[in-house]
This record gives sequence, C-alpha cells and structure tokens, in this order.
Amino acid sequence: MTSAAALESVEIEALVTDRYLDALLAAAERRAPDAPADPSLDPALRRAALRLRDELVRVHPSFRFEERLARRLAEAAAGMRLAVAAGGEGAILPFPGAGDDFRAGDPLVDDPLLRFARGGALRANAALRANAALHGIRLLPRRPLLVGGAVTSAALSLAGAAFVAWRLTRGAPTDPMARAVRLARAARAAREGSPAEPD
Amino acid sequence: MFGRGRGGEAAGSVRRVVPLDPDRSLVRTAQADPARFDALYRKYVAQVYSFAYHELGDHHEAEDVTEQAFLLALGALARFREEAPDDAGPEASTFRVWLLRIARNAIANQRRTVRRRPATPLDAVGEAAAPDDPERAVLARADASAAWAAVARLPGDRRRAVVLRFVEEMTTAEIAGVLGRSEGAVRVLLHRALRSVARDLGERGEAR
Repeated sequence: MTSAAALESVEIEALVTDRYLDALLAAAERRAPDAPADPSLDPALRRAALRLRDELVRVHPSFRFEERLARRLAEAAAGMRLAVAAGGEGAILPFPGAGDDFRAGDPLVDDPLLRFARGGALRANAALRANAALHGIRLLPRRPLLVGGAVTSAALSLAGAAFVAWRLTRGAPTDPMARAVRLARAARAAREGSPAEPD
Repeated sequence: MFGRGRGGEAAGSVRRVVPLDPDRSLVRTAQADPARFDALYRKYVAQVYSFAYHELGDHHEAEDVTEQAFLLALGALARFREEAPDDAGPEASTFRVWLLRIARNAIANQRRTVRRRPATPLDAVGEAAAPDDPERAVLARADASAAWAAVARLPGDRRRAVVLRFVEEMTTAEIAGVLGRSEGAVRVLLHRALRSVARDLGERGEAR
C-alpha cells in the first residue's frame, strides 16, 4: 500500500470512528448504553470509547473558588464599566511605563490634576508589572489609557469659569478694610491727577 | 477554519442557513455591560477548570489557569467576534471555542512558569508529580482508573482531543478550533488516541 493510500485509509477509519463517537455521545444524553456502529469499526476501539465515555468525567472546582473568582470578575467588570462611562467624553492619555519620564514641553505636564493621575498610573503600573512577573505573564507594550475622564476635568473647567465670572461681576467690597483701601487709592489718584480705576 | 462569520451567505447567491450560536445573546449582553459576564462565567467555569485540571493534574494550578482565562476573556470580550466553521452543529458555541483556546494558552503559560520555578511541598518530595507530566500526576492519584492513566499517557494534542471530546463533549469542529488544526487532523488524532488507549488497556488486561 502506498503512503497516500495508507493516509486515505487512516482518514476513512478516522471518519468512521468519529461518526461512532458522535452517536455514542448523543446516546449518553438519552442514557442509552451504546450506539450502533459501522461494521468496519474495530471492536477494540469501540470498547475503548465506551470505557472513556463512562470513566472520563468532568472535574468541578470548589464552590469557594467559584464564588471568589465570581467576585473578582465582578470587580474587574465594575472597573471596565467606569472606564467605558468616562470614555464617552474623556481624553486618551499615554499610559506611562515604569521607567518613563514626562517629556519636556509636554503641555499636560503642568496640569496638576493630570500630574496626580499620572503619578497614580505609575504606581499602578509598577504593581501590575510586579504581579505579572510573579505569575509569569508577558505584558504587552504600553498602550493609551483613559485617565480621569470627562467628569473631573469638565467639573474643574466649569468651576474655573464660574470663579472668573464671579470675580468680573462682583460688586464693591463691603468690609471696612476694603473700603479703606479703596478710599486711599482714590485719594492717591486724585493727588496724582488721574481717576481711580474702578474695582 | 473559523473563517466565515455565521449568518453570512455562501459563495454566489445561495443563501446558507446556519444555526444560532447558543451563547449569542449572553455574549452580546456581556459586551454591552461587562457586569453581565457572570452568566457566561457560571456556564463555563466547570468546563474551563476541568480542562485545566486534566491537563495540569493539580487543583491549585487548575484554579490559577481558570482565573487567568476568565480575566483575559473578560478583558478581551469586546473584541470577540462570532465565527464558526461551515459544518458546525447546532450546539456549537464559538464563544466556548474562543474561551477554551484562551484556556489552552493559559495552560501553556502555566507550564512554562512551573518549569522555571518548580515548587514541591517537603512532605511530598519523592512522590509528587511534575505539573507538566500528566501521566505521573494521574498515576499518583490513588483512585486513578486504568482508563484515566491510559489517556494521561497519550501525547499532547491526542490527550487534549480526547479530553475535549469525552469530557467537554465538544464536536470535532469545535476541537479543531481550540487546537488550531483542521477537522480531518482532529479526527485522525482521536482515532489514533483511541487505538493507543485500546492497545494500552488490552496489554494491561483492562479491556472489558
């Protein structure tokens, strides 16, 4: 028999075996002891398949482990929901690597909120790398990460705008010290011949 | 393999009727809201754990792999796309194939890690099975049956194919997706594995 013919023969035998396994596993669902097989199927293979069907059983994890992992997944999912919620209006920032420095001239460097967020990201990244090393997990190269999100930055922007508006529109100060300062400044302006600037 | 999306059309204008993936609604719900991943987790945690346990022969390592697999799956769920082979049966779940493929990679990583940092409790020195040696792991169990041992003696993909077929009751097409092989190759793997098991049981006088 040539090698091609032998290969074809094995494939045909494998197909017959596979059909029997399909029937056998379907029979197990009906609690039938066996299933009909093609006469060409080797009886030894059939006995081995029956034996494996009866003796290879699924091993279940402990209830304690299952619940612990369920809680861990729920926590991870909650974190993902937060990121998705913030992602609607947030900005994408590069996630700093453990050894990364902020680049000179980066306009984001002077933002105290972002500096705080990136500091936290650096600490989180160091913890992530340590955990990955402990478990032998290979980390992918750094990728952009949403930090902060729209809620915080928009709230700060709104607060800033409101503060400036208040400063521009507020009336004259009413406390005695402010009145004294204003009178002194008006008197000095009168002496120098120029009108005092309004507050 | 797993190259054509379900619900698509075959070549030309002939419309192909394909079965509904049983996990489609659960997957879509979890993709929209990761907190709903719990349903998929509950459905498949035993299968992933069992697969890992049969491969590694150690409960603690099977737990580690199960945890890694589900955390990775949750993180990558948004990128999951439902794909199935042309002849996948109505019970075939592409999510299950995807999940077990993640588990298979996690098992391979776990084996590499354990090989780098082997740890054996002092009271088990001398009789502990190496985690990457399923044969010894199974033989070490007092209640290990001859059939279990015969499967554990099979080489890598033959053993995996048998476990996925008999324990997880996957179709040949699904196993092909998990192992990254063609269906024909998986059929031959299973056939040869059964022949080895039959010979092994026969030689030991275990065949019924």
